[in-house]
Amino acid sequence: MNLKKIREQADQLYRRGLHIAGRSEDTESLETAAGLWQKALKLYRKAGDKDKAKLLQKSLVGLYRDKYVKVRGKEEKRSVAKKFKDWFMFFKIGCFGFGGPMAVFTLLQDELVHEKMILTDKDFLEGAVLGDVLPGPVTMDIVTYTGYKLKKWYGAFIATLVFILPSFVIMIVLAMLYDKYSVTPKVSGVLQCLGAAVTGLILSVALRLSKAEMKDYRELCVLLWAFASSIIFKLDIVVIVGLCGLVGIVLYHDDPQELLPE
Amino acid sequence: MITTLFQLAWVFMKIGTFTFGGGIVIIPMIEKEVVTNYDWLTHTEFVDAVTLGQITPGPVIVSGTFIGYKACGILGAIVATVSVILPSFIMICLATEAIKKFRENKILANFLRGARIAVIGMVFDAGVSIGRSSLVDTKTILIAAVSIICLFKYKVNPIWILLGAGIVGVVT
Repeated sequence: MNLKKIREQADQLYRRGLHIAGRSEDTESLETAAGLWQKALKLYRKAGDKDKAKLLQKSLVGLYRDKYVKVRGKEEKRSVAKKFKDWFMFFKIGCFGFGGPMAVFTLLQDELVHEKMILTDKDFLEGAVLGDVLPGPVTMDIVTYTGYKLKKWYGAFIATLVFILPSFVIMIVLAMLYDKYSVTPKVSGVLQCLGAAVTGLILSVALRLSKAEMKDYRELCVLLWAFASSIIFKLDIVVIVGLCGLVGIVLYHDDPQELLPE
Repeated sequence: MITTLFQLAWVFMKIGTFTFGGGIVIIPMIEKEVVTNYDWLTHTEFVDAVTLGQITPGPVIVSGTFIGYKACGILGAIVATVSVILPSFIMICLATEAIKKFRENKILANFLRGARIAVIGMVFDAGVSIGRSSLVDTKTILIAAVSIICLFKYKVNPIWILLGAGIVGVVT
């Protein structure tokens, strides 16, 4: 009689624990559930119900290993990201980020992954690929992405703003000086040489991109068409890019490719 | 002035939305619009804008700040910079939020593949268009050729190429 009562009490405790663990998934309620189950376990043992005790022990281990550890890790990571306040870091990188997107990418990775350990390498790679796949300036894309990862829209906004600010101010000052005193050498020889170098710069970018994208004649056809419609027919960028995108949908429909390989 | 600001916003947003490949691709794309269509800058000023964007720290996209300033003062600079960043800012945030759906969308992937190629064709056009006004004698053609080889084959930082070209211009 007494044993039966204890067993019933244990059953009740077990069910209550199950209810709490199933309802919400944060460390606190999981801890409460685990406590209840432990009490139930003791009672089962007292009642001499070994089979049930074993079963309960197993589910206790499962609860701890599968849920508690996972949830706790997530919460810890989130709380680190929540505590992130060092937006000045983006300002610093904006001041010293010479040399294009990859340089900025490495600087950010050093700070956030290796020094502060807020984001993982995988997070970062995803950001770089995303910035590359989507249109717009890649450097800014990477910064926006990191900001968003840290604190959603607010983080993305602050990171982008703080990052662009130094170079924006420098450029405004230079533009003012340029207007007033023509700081850049106005000697025609120098300007000509700079123009030639800029031409080389643009063409080399085009070559590098073609090397990365050209796989067979289909791509070459699209490229030639885009070139011709830009230089001869002078179509608007919206029309050219839109049409080529549609051509891409038709061309590759039998050869789908993952947008962001995992 | 208001009209100029709207035109600036339109041009830079359009380019920011449809150009793949980063700031160094975006800036040449603007050339036709700002030099030929709207006449905000001369050819030489545009080359200076690109050069300044390269030698200042931060993203190359601030060349757009310079162009905006030339077109319409400080307000123009702000409008140009914000407009060129805004489209990709929104796209990145949305794509990060729905990264799974984004990854699995095959039609979007194929569209982007085609669109990227289109942009390459247009960068070639921009190079040709700037080259037409800049490559006038053997010396300039030589400089362009050398910088293509250095940048494409040996991946030298563009800053050094521009500095080198400037020095060549001073010496000769």
